[in-house]
Amino acid sequence: MNTIQVAEFGLLLPEIFVLVMTCVVLVVDLYLTERNRDVTYVLSLLTLAGAALLTLGNYPSGTTVAMYGTFVHDPMGGLLKLFIYVVTAGVFIYSRSYLRDRGLYKGEYYVLGLFAMLGMMVLVSAHSFLTIYLGLELLSLSLYAMVAFDRDSPTASEAAMKYFVLGALASGMLLYGISMLYGATGSLDIGEVGAAVAGSEDRSIILIFALCFVVAGLAFKLGAVPFHMWIPDVYHGAPTSVTLFIGSAPKIAAFAMLMRLLAESMGGLQPDWQGMLAILAVLSLAVGNIIAIAQTNLKRMLAYSTISHMGFLLLGVLAGTPEGYSAAMFYAVTYALMAIGAFGMIILLSRSGFEAERLDDFRGLNNRSPWFAFIMLILMFSMAGVPPTVGFYAKLSVLEAVVAIDMVWIALVAVFFSIIGAFYYIRVVKLMYFDESESDEPINVGMDMRLAISANGVVVLALGLFPGALLSLCAAAFP
Amino acid sequence: MDFERFVFYVFAIILIYAAGRVITVRNPVHAALHLVLAFFTCAGLWLLLEAEFLAITLVLVYVGAVMVLFLFVVMMLDINTSPLREGFIRYLPVGLVVASLMLLEMFLVVGARNFGAQSVAIPERHGADYSNTRELGNVLYTDYVYPFEIAAVILLVAIVAAIALTMRKRPETRYQDPSRQVSVQPEDRIRIVKMPAEREQS
Amino acid sequence: MEKIYLAIPLAPLFGALVAGLFGRQIGRAGAHWVTILGVGISFVLSLVVFKHMVIDGAEPFNGSVYTWLVSDGVRFEIGFLVDRLTTLMLLVVSFVSLMVHIYTIGYMHEDPGYQRFFSYIALFTFSMLMLVMSNNFLQLFFGWEAVGLVSYLLIGFWYKRPSAIYANLKAFLVNRVGDFGFLLGIAAIYMAFNSMDYMTVFAAAPSHAGETIEVIPGVEWQLMSVICILLFIGAMGKSAQVPLHVWLPDSMEGPTPISALIHAATMVTAGIFMVARMSPLFELSVTALSVVLVIGAITALFMGFLGVVQNDIKRVVAYSTLSQLGYMTVALGASAYAAGIFHLMTHAFFKALLFLAAGSVIIAMHHDQDIRNMGGLKKYMPITYWTSLIGSLALIGFPGFAGFFSKDAIIEATHASQIPGSTFAYIAVLSSVFVTALYSFRMFFLVFHGKERMDEHTREHLHETPPVVTVPLIMLAIPSVLAGYVIGPVLFGDYFGGAIHVDHARDVLAHLGEHFTGAGGFILHGITGLPFILAMAGLATAWYIYIKNPDIATTVRRRFKGIYQVLVNKYYADDFNEAVFAGGARGVGQLLWKIGDVLIIDGLIVNGSARVVGWVASVVRHVQSGYLYHYAFSMIIGLLLLLSWFMVYQNGS
Repeated sequence: MNTIQVAEFGLLLPEIFVLVMTCVVLVVDLYLTERNRDVTYVLSLLTLAGAALLTLGNYPSGTTVAMYGTFVHDPMGGLLKLFIYVVTAGVFIYSRSYLRDRGLYKGEYYVLGLFAMLGMMVLVSAHSFLTIYLGLELLSLSLYAMVAFDRDSPTASEAAMKYFVLGALASGMLLYGISMLYGATGSLDIGEVGAAVAGSEDRSIILIFALCFVVAGLAFKLGAVPFHMWIPDVYHGAPTSVTLFIGSAPKIAAFAMLMRLLAESMGGLQPDWQGMLAILAVLSLAVGNIIAIAQTNLKRMLAYSTISHMGFLLLGVLAGTPEGYSAAMFYAVTYALMAIGAFGMIILLSRSGFEAERLDDFRGLNNRSPWFAFIMLILMFSMAGVPPTVGFYAKLSVLEAVVAIDMVWIALVAVFFSIIGAFYYIRVVKLMYFDESESDEPINVGMDMRLAISANGVVVLALGLFPGALLSLCAAAFP
Repeated sequence: MDFERFVFYVFAIILIYAAGRVITVRNPVHAALHLVLAFFTCAGLWLLLEAEFLAITLVLVYVGAVMVLFLFVVMMLDINTSPLREGFIRYLPVGLVVASLMLLEMFLVVGARNFGAQSVAIPERHGADYSNTRELGNVLYTDYVYPFEIAAVILLVAIVAAIALTMRKRPETRYQDPSRQVSVQPEDRIRIVKMPAEREQS
Repeated sequence: MEKIYLAIPLAPLFGALVAGLFGRQIGRAGAHWVTILGVGISFVLSLVVFKHMVIDGAEPFNGSVYTWLVSDGVRFEIGFLVDRLTTLMLLVVSFVSLMVHIYTIGYMHEDPGYQRFFSYIALFTFSMLMLVMSNNFLQLFFGWEAVGLVSYLLIGFWYKRPSAIYANLKAFLVNRVGDFGFLLGIAAIYMAFNSMDYMTVFAAAPSHAGETIEVIPGVEWQLMSVICILLFIGAMGKSAQVPLHVWLPDSMEGPTPISALIHAATMVTAGIFMVARMSPLFELSVTALSVVLVIGAITALFMGFLGVVQNDIKRVVAYSTLSQLGYMTVALGASAYAAGIFHLMTHAFFKALLFLAAGSVIIAMHHDQDIRNMGGLKKYMPITYWTSLIGSLALIGFPGFAGFFSKDAIIEATHASQIPGSTFAYIAVLSSVFVTALYSFRMFFLVFHGKERMDEHTREHLHETPPVVTVPLIMLAIPSVLAGYVIGPVLFGDYFGGAIHVDHARDVLAHLGEHFTGAGGFILHGITGLPFILAMAGLATAWYIYIKNPDIATTVRRRFKGIYQVLVNKYYADDFNEAVFAGGARGVGQLLWKIGDVLIIDGLIVNGSARVVGWVASVVRHVQSGYLYHYAFSMIIGLLLLLSWFMVYQNGS
């Protein structure tokens, strides 16, 4: 009988630390009154910092499989985890004042957030279908609860209900696909399945069948058309502080899931899933960008924009080359940064009893605060892909990857729809700079939020000016 | 037909019948009871497969705990089932088309051709001294220790979420707080207001 | 050494950032101290580099500092190439910039935009240093655009004057034309060599010498000629060569220190520097060299004529700058790159001196720039007078002064050159010597000698300017005299080493070097030569017309009214541009706007597609009904379609 070496636990240290700290937060929070809630907040941020230190301290240089083949320690996982910490920290900081103004400033928000993050971490370094599924459920379950967190809001409850039911349906599809794969290959280990799939001479019909179900489950998680229906309703219905979370970090985890399931375990079926992803990508780009134009609610608009961005992400993955994977990874992490920034701006402008989620609430922002208008300008430009912001490089590298495999038509389609998409991003800029503001309420938020959102905007710009380091980090994850 | 096979078919027929009734009976209590029956027969089938531990767990956990709780809820809530069936007929044709297409495709794949008895090796028979509870414990704490722990965390999240979403202090609920009663001060109870006896002349 | 190289451009950048961003906090004195300190550090470090490269004879440094991005195997880097050519430019740029910084304290001391001004000129210094230190085309282009940008900002520094805004717009537009050519040139290099790095390109260039390309189908052009001429178009814009010269005289709307620093000593010479840097490419195309030579000769002569009729003190100097830039270009065309760079250096000193002296006069005259209102300033402003005299003598090439050595070398080199157009160029530069002397001393005499024509009020307040103004004048006067004596090693020795590449058949400087016996001999030879006689004739003419017999000027003007009109209107170049290019462009634009924009783009594409998109969006929106079972159903349909598609596809294949 083989045993686990103590050193293997060292690889899991960030996960273990986050779990322990989450339990600590859960218990400590019981003894806190409303006034001392900041302790929970600070503890949660410290948890993230500690996890980041642990991840950095044992940053993977090669691939190590541990825990009887259920866990993998590799550069892709390391980098994605770091970004997940950063994005989650941003989410926590942005949410604080929002939650407090609405009487939602409770420890459970942070506990559930940390559990969701743990789920993402599990997902990111999963090396078995079982771990993938469990990580996904841990993440989803926490998110369902967070969406319903504002119990007095009927829209939030409705959104949670929809998310839950549809999520269960998608999980079912994913599980069904996985069980087919198990039946065909006799293993749940990603490495073994990968070898078995690559080894099978004729791409058997069971594998294709399994693939369809797996892709459907993945597409739901990413929000690709036609599995996207939940996104606008959930984004819109959930409290903004939760939308902020759902719209950012889980996208990084979803990318990891995509990589683990498709590229690593079903790399042998690349020609087949390339076609499926191409269909999903084109539909997502088209539907996301076109419907976003008709939206008057910023949260809904950003929801559709997410759909179109996921279309772009799929483009990188479907290329099936290391360049494509690293481009998609770059896209995922930079998109998460832009998304928290954009939702963070909504939180920044909203106050007790007022959700600044209509497009009109951004009118004349430049008169109220030129700096924050500028940050929003950077974020919108970045989402639209205007140089020199990072969004430009993200789109560029993804397009390069597709062109490199001679799928020029799909690159042209992507460019066409992102031009249509640029319209609604730039409309926000126009509203901020050229229209009269409806209110002259001063922007009143804490220093931590101001600094974080400023840093967020600056990072989006700085990564656009100096994308080299991050690009090479992403490339290093796929040798 | 040996006895084992006979038992299998009996259980299988009862299981299918019970499962069918779960979704066709109108009365929710009846449906729940049919579900209990389905679990029982299922446990019987598992016993045939030498999965004694799982069979007992199924009975204990699902029948003993989950279903009893479920019956309580169903009986107390008095659900009106008729609105749930609205639109059932309207969407039936298109639903049927989709379902049958799906079924057809599944048959193509999950047929005997791919998952027939000949494609899977016949499992080894174990003697009476063989403890599959022990084997289960063995893999659970070695091969599957990581997923097992994550599953535990998921349960914790479920508890946290359930409590966070349902437990609340209702302002209308009246209850006694002894510590407040003890520490009460006179000033908290009455307010002495001084007023001039008459309106001042302006 | 690498740290030093890095510090040289970064020190002024730091000064610029501090003065620009925290100008209000650190105050006026803080702004000038921090920028002067930054530029001072650059200058001192440039001296260190000079010692390292020239006196210790170190090998050239070529290395990258930061890789900006790698695309398709091509690296875009920030890197430095420091050889002796760079070293010389570093010294010139940082020294003149330092002098101008100090001078600015006096010139701008009443201006409300004091900190902004210092921030800009320090930023300019940074950009210029990055340009000359670059080791690749991309960084060269960035530096090129950055100096252009700062120049634009500074010409329009007094942004409340309409004329300044007009001038900076003009400079911007004209430079766009040049930059377009330059960018095309860089693109052509990238296409041909697939690299942006100087050394890679230079090494590969000879093997591409015979190649031809077809830009227009059926017409074959030499690849090297195309590249070099495109690059030279860029140089024409920046170094104000005919016909892209029109912006430089107008740029005098900017403050005088700017005219000295940017529009005389450094930025305008960037084109000259660039061509010298690209000598391995230009040497491969005689056609390109001929173009360079002829353009330079035209600029040198015809811009000189214009100087004679100008009345604004700064414009006279500006036209003289144009003419001198023409000289440098001629030197490049004649393959005498070293002579061009040498003239660049001496010119930087004496032209900065002349500008700053003009500025000193302007301060004293309370910002009146018309030389017809001056006269007899000699007794009021002795330091300005003497330094101006040194500058003017250097400009006309009086033997012994800096300008003499460099200019004579160019004339001799042109004489020795054999390429097509060299005879014309020789006649042009020779004639230009007379013209140069005429306009220089016309201005000199009108300003400092003769009757005092200013009004009473101004006269009462006339006095010498303060030391922050006069010290830089003196400091610049010294190299204006002495800088020429290094002619031996720079031109005929091996100063530039491998930095400049000249084909043996056209190495005119080596030819001259055979007869070179030393600076003294060069002076003796100069005194007996034709250029000296012409210069003296010009000086004498100026003296006769403007001092001895002032009436003659009006007579001449009346007699040659036609020519005078042409000159006053600057050969109608501005009117031509205004009518043909600007008017034509407006006409075409109007047409395209009406047909293309309003009708097709706005009407059909933008509004049309917007309408279509809006319609689609409003329809598809209804799919998002909000009903859970609709959503679930759409997922199942999606899955079904995926399944069916691939089952069929899989079975079919």
